[in-house]
Amino acid sequence: MLQVSNLSKTFSGQAALAGLNLTIEAGQVHALLGGNGSGKSTFIKILSGYHKPDPGGSVRVAGSELTFGSPESSRSSGCRFVHQDLGLIDTSSVLDNVMFGRGFPRTLATVRSRRARHLAVAMLDRAGLDLDPDALVGALTPAQKTEVAVARALSPASGEEVRLLVLDEPTATLPHDEVDQLLATIRRVSSHQVGVIFVTHRLEEVLRVAHQVTVLRDGRRIASRGMEGLTRSELVHLLVGDELDETQAIAEKLADPADAPVALTARSVSTQTVAPFDLDVRQGEIVGVAGITGSGREAVLGSLFGALKRIDGEVRVKNAPLRPNDPRRSIRAGMVFMPAERRTRGGVLGLSAQENLSLAKVTKHWRFPLMRRTQERRQTAYWFSRLGVRPDDGSTLPLSAFSGGNQQKILLARWLNCEPSVLMVDEPTQGVDIQARARIHEELVGAAKSGTAVLVSSSDVDELVALSHRVLILRAGEVVEILEGSDVTIGNVTRRTLVSTHEEHHEDS
Amino acid sequence: MRIRNAGMDRFSGLYLGALFVLIFGLWTPDLFLTSGTLHSVASNQAIGAMLALAVLIPMAGGCYDLSVGAVAGISTVIVVTLQSNHGWSMGPAILVTVVIAAVAGLVNGFVVVKLRVDAFIATLGTATIIAAFQTIISDGAQPPLPRSPGWRDLTQQTVFGFQIVVIYLLLLTVLVWWVLEHTPAGRYIYAIGGNEEAAHLSGVAVGRWRWMSMIASAAIAGIAGVLYGSLTGPSLTYGPGLLLPAFAAAFLGTTQVRPGRPNAWGTLLAVYVLAIGVKGMQLVTGVQWLNDMFNGGALILAVAFAVWRQRRPGANSRKAGARPLAPARSGSE
Repeated sequence: MLQVSNLSKTFSGQAALAGLNLTIEAGQVHALLGGNGSGKSTFIKILSGYHKPDPGGSVRVAGSELTFGSPESSRSSGCRFVHQDLGLIDTSSVLDNVMFGRGFPRTLATVRSRRARHLAVAMLDRAGLDLDPDALVGALTPAQKTEVAVARALSPASGEEVRLLVLDEPTATLPHDEVDQLLATIRRVSSHQVGVIFVTHRLEEVLRVAHQVTVLRDGRRIASRGMEGLTRSELVHLLVGDELDETQAIAEKLADPADAPVALTARSVSTQTVAPFDLDVRQGEIVGVAGITGSGREAVLGSLFGALKRIDGEVRVKNAPLRPNDPRRSIRAGMVFMPAERRTRGGVLGLSAQENLSLAKVTKHWRFPLMRRTQERRQTAYWFSRLGVRPDDGSTLPLSAFSGGNQQKILLARWLNCEPSVLMVDEPTQGVDIQARARIHEELVGAAKSGTAVLVSSSDVDELVALSHRVLILRAGEVVEILEGSDVTIGNVTRRTLVSTHEEHHEDS
Repeated sequence: MRIRNAGMDRFSGLYLGALFVLIFGLWTPDLFLTSGTLHSVASNQAIGAMLALAVLIPMAGGCYDLSVGAVAGISTVIVVTLQSNHGWSMGPAILVTVVIAAVAGLVNGFVVVKLRVDAFIATLGTATIIAAFQTIISDGAQPPLPRSPGWRDLTQQTVFGFQIVVIYLLLLTVLVWWVLEHTPAGRYIYAIGGNEEAAHLSGVAVGRWRWMSMIASAAIAGIAGVLYGSLTGPSLTYGPGLLLPAFAAAFLGTTQVRPGRPNAWGTLLAVYVLAIGVKGMQLVTGVQWLNDMFNGGALILAVAFAVWRQRRPGANSRKAGARPLAPARSGSE
């Protein structure tokens, strides 16, 4: 059905995918596993025609060669995609949503409603769904929404046969009790002789639904094998490997903060997606927050800071309680937070780098009747040279004119400039280049050295292990464990975010 | 910032204005190149320019205030009625009128910040309600002009040949410029306009500053209404008519002086460049409909130009922040 041979993709000298070979049979559910940067997304984007691979590789779907870089070719050869962001319109009905892709049957420009309804029901049936076509998509459960997206993807437009369905982390944001429903849909789809590529971080799902599994690491295929007889711990082993922890723990150079006073105290803090948890972070300590997508990791820092709704619990900075959901007071109390979404939640793209940098502490430069421009410029110049922002004379350029890494440095400077007692960063190095990443890491360690309590939430396990004294592990909306000292290794952190110690031991024995 | 193409970008309005002066000056020098024309253009546009400054402040914070015309209108009626029909003296009448205008802004702010109604809808609604109040107060009849000699002098005294209202306008422009460019309040308002969520997470009191910007807008509209009553005399209908030109000027102003952001001097420049063009054309052709045509055309062109700037690669747009752009693609995956 799908034959991939020798597929490679290089981004600015770095191999994101290196000589991938893969075969997927019709009617087979093929799980694709791998961590951040393993090449999964690159592979899928090549299939969908978004990326053009390096010359030399080939992809055949049912015997016919795929034209690279052409979404039309991908579609006409029978490939369909359901992305994590489903792309449904909440305010329209199920019927309208499944029809948008293929077009409505019409007479004299008027929608033939009964015919449309008939077609929609047929499409839902084909995906094995029992949904009311008139229901608004916004009113459906997350699992049902995903099913609508699947039904739409399978829509038989103009005689093209659907041969391959790619599901890119469809379960990442699903509540755990709704996953079953989706897995059933996946089985049904594959029973119609459609090949399914299923990307997920959740091993449980792989064990339950997949026939075959392929594991990618650093753009290479580590393993490809049938699921029969494969246990969970073998799967974890494939995923994590025996690799030594090559990541030099930067944090080890730091003094042990065990005797330092506690800077941040959290007591039974809970949010919509995370069950109550406790946490103490000492001055000079770096605490990592780990968890796969949908584990609740994304909500931890935001809820402490007040960017996200804190339902219950107490947060104290140097013993002063923080009001929930009030970023301004949190900042005043000495806690700062750099959100993961640099462009939409972090920076004001249209304002200059300088204005972005001083935004959290504007009044520092204010002496009636004017802003002290010289003082502000000097401060910007200081941070630009300290963090190596390029272009170094660009302080008056709008933030949008900088590269991702430099934007991130400027925003980090905004928060370091506040001289916080608690510094929290979410995905601090996502989408930044290697140099910027190293620079940002140095600054985080530097902040800890000068007595700041640092919290780093990241999907990048290397980063967490390199930086952290301790790592909080989140699984299924709960803080299940805190790894400390020599337990903080890439293997441990990755394993714990996937399965519990109990399960692992249970299977090993 | 490095200066490129001699300010062709930032001060294109000045060049355009100079071009108008040149063309019409050559075309009809006797009519156009007179101090009378200069003085009348300056004071005729003063009230409209003040309303443009009024809409500018909430616009910098990402909100449209459509009620400034109605607020100016009712302020004229109130300040005149208090003096003519209730025997108030000028000072208290003006003070009370501006306070009432500010209260209208307070209500606008409440609807936008507390009830979370989109500012466009909210102020469209309050503008209509204010118009109804105006009818209640005036009973549908134009109030008589106050008789005190000081009332006319308030705006019509001349200073260096200009009516003093032009000086008020300059003072107001300096005030708005100072607040937006040289105080923390201005920083906060621009940050909110650029990316509300980022401003909120940076500790900016988004609701408070947005509310303040609505109050400032209405108060300025109130002042403009008071001055209109002195300059032109009471009118029940002029207010809403000044709304569109005010927006045209504020939008056009975002292409000038500080391109990409609504700003005071750019707005003032836009008002007068448009006025010079309209005046010249009117003198040449003698038709009256030019004003509307020019303002409508300028509004569309200004916004189209601003959009084009944003879409240019590397454009320094501030609106972009409000729109979620494509997420940064990570290089490694």
